[in-house]
Amino acid sequence: MNSEKKRFTCLFISMALLLLICFIFSLGVGSADITVSEIIKSLISPGDVQFGKIIISIRLPRIIAALILGGALSVSGYLLQIFFGNPIAGPYVLGISSGAKLFVAICMVVLVGQGVYISSLIMVVAAFVGSIIAMGIVMLLAGKVRNMSLLVVCGVMIGYICSAVTEFIITFANDSNIVNLHNWSLGSFSGISWEHVIISAIIVSVTLVLSFVMSKPIGAYQLGEAYARNMGVNIKYLRVVLILLSSILSATVTAFAGPISFVGIAVPHIMRGAMKTAKPLIMIPACFMGGAIITLLCDCIARTAFAPTEVSISAVTAVFLAPVVIYMLVARRALSRG
Amino acid sequence: MDKKLSTIALEVGYKKGQPVVKQVSFDVKAGEIIAVVGANGAGKSTILKTITRQLNKLDGNIRICDMDDSEINEEAMAKKVSMVTTERIHPELMTCYDVVATGRYPYTGRLGILSDDDREAIAYAIKLVGAEAIVSEDFSKVSDGQRQRVMLARAICQDTDIMILDEPTSFLDIQFKLDILTIIRKLAHEQNKAVVMSIHELEFVPAIADAVIGIYDNSVYKIGSPKEILTGENLEVMYGMAAGEGKIMADGLWQYAQALERLICQK
Repeated sequence: MNSEKKRFTCLFISMALLLLICFIFSLGVGSADITVSEIIKSLISPGDVQFGKIIISIRLPRIIAALILGGALSVSGYLLQIFFGNPIAGPYVLGISSGAKLFVAICMVVLVGQGVYISSLIMVVAAFVGSIIAMGIVMLLAGKVRNMSLLVVCGVMIGYICSAVTEFIITFANDSNIVNLHNWSLGSFSGISWEHVIISAIIVSVTLVLSFVMSKPIGAYQLGEAYARNMGVNIKYLRVVLILLSSILSATVTAFAGPISFVGIAVPHIMRGAMKTAKPLIMIPACFMGGAIITLLCDCIARTAFAPTEVSISAVTAVFLAPVVIYMLVARRALSRG
Repeated sequence: MDKKLSTIALEVGYKKGQPVVKQVSFDVKAGEIIAVVGANGAGKSTILKTITRQLNKLDGNIRICDMDDSEINEEAMAKKVSMVTTERIHPELMTCYDVVATGRYPYTGRLGILSDDDREAIAYAIKLVGAEAIVSEDFSKVSDGQRQRVMLARAICQDTDIMILDEPTSFLDIQFKLDILTIIRKLAHEQNKAVVMSIHELEFVPAIADAVIGIYDNSVYKIGSPKEILTGENLEVMYGMAAGEGKIMADGLWQYAQALERLICQK
């Protein structure tokens, strides 16, 4: 027991350190290379340093957004996996992110066409409505197909349909505001403002605390519905809460950064492997930190690898994380056969 | 007062209007073991699932510790009735200790962190079922027999007056069956638990059950002592055997049962 506690502490401390290193590294690299001492100076008094403005108003919000939203996405995937009782689930592969994307696009086209200013909160609400509708469709399908791999295929198809419709909407809307949406619709952290960062920080932290407080019934639910009910868990209530929390998290991500692929499905898997536990009390913070680190690194690659051109964040996460998902699918198949 | 669980004209099933078993009335006292027997599909599990609230009752009443079951909320229920089902669970990355520890759920705080009392109860339950050697092993990797021990320990540390066990001995080898039933008998006799269990292995019934409920044809066929229920005639009816076969079966069964009774009761 004690050695387990020690291991968790070690892992959490190393993740925190890794996160800090990634954070400083990301601040430095980019089309303008900035040294560590300049970063520290500009953080203390941005006015005095040459790159102060770049750091404070462009890189810093982007990095913090990648950190918060990457973590949120990973926790969202973890909650979905608990809901389905299966590690092969995530907001992107089940088409939930794309549903959110479609609704944000529709909302923007309609409102911008009427000259309405779109606040970040409206975007989050639109994304949430889209997530819930996509989730509803997935759950209807889940009632019909018991096989999780098949459900993922259905989810990917839903994702394609939503993305295609989004593309139509964006292509036919000429407004310059909407043409900018193209980057966002592929997934990107570029152009994130401090306002977005603050709104997402508030939503994500509240949702995370709520998820953490639900650790106990979530842990019981892992033994299956029958035993959870026997332990006094209100199953219906728990299922609704899981869906709501997971949808709010992935909707926030999609509203500000577009759909980001595979973080939600792969990071919880990686964290389970690292932590060697399924306890939600450990897994929820671990998923958040793991998601933050991985997304931050991927965003770093997205904006620097082919500078000055930016790659979409989804392209980078797909390259690194899709193989993890393939591995999971194959390993589980082997397991169920053996 | 010492009636722990009673069902009164209970009607169970999956759909209103299509009861699987009707008119189920029985009492279980503290320290008593009731065996529910009957053919596959007779509705044994349906009755047990209704008592543990996996299914809604269709009609009738369930009384638990002298209270109507509608007066008991989910949390209070978790401290009164524990269970082991036939449903296999597939928790990932949980050690046997973790699985047993989930039995303490109704007693832990908001975040489910175990207190020293909880740890003591878990250690006690693990010792009682003799699962000390496997506590830190991955639950999904131990054998069926070990798994059943762990699930029983889980129910024990839930610390309830009533235990509902659905076929606790299925899929186990003979020695594991003996071990598990010996533990169950101990629990009833030494700790005054009221136990209701369904069981297919009739040969074990005389050794452990105080009363037997035979289910047949959508209703309770007979309730009585093992001697009264496990007769050739009753077996023929309950299991649809040809005339005369029941007697042959019963004769052999009672001989085997006596041997098993000696093994179980000497411990």
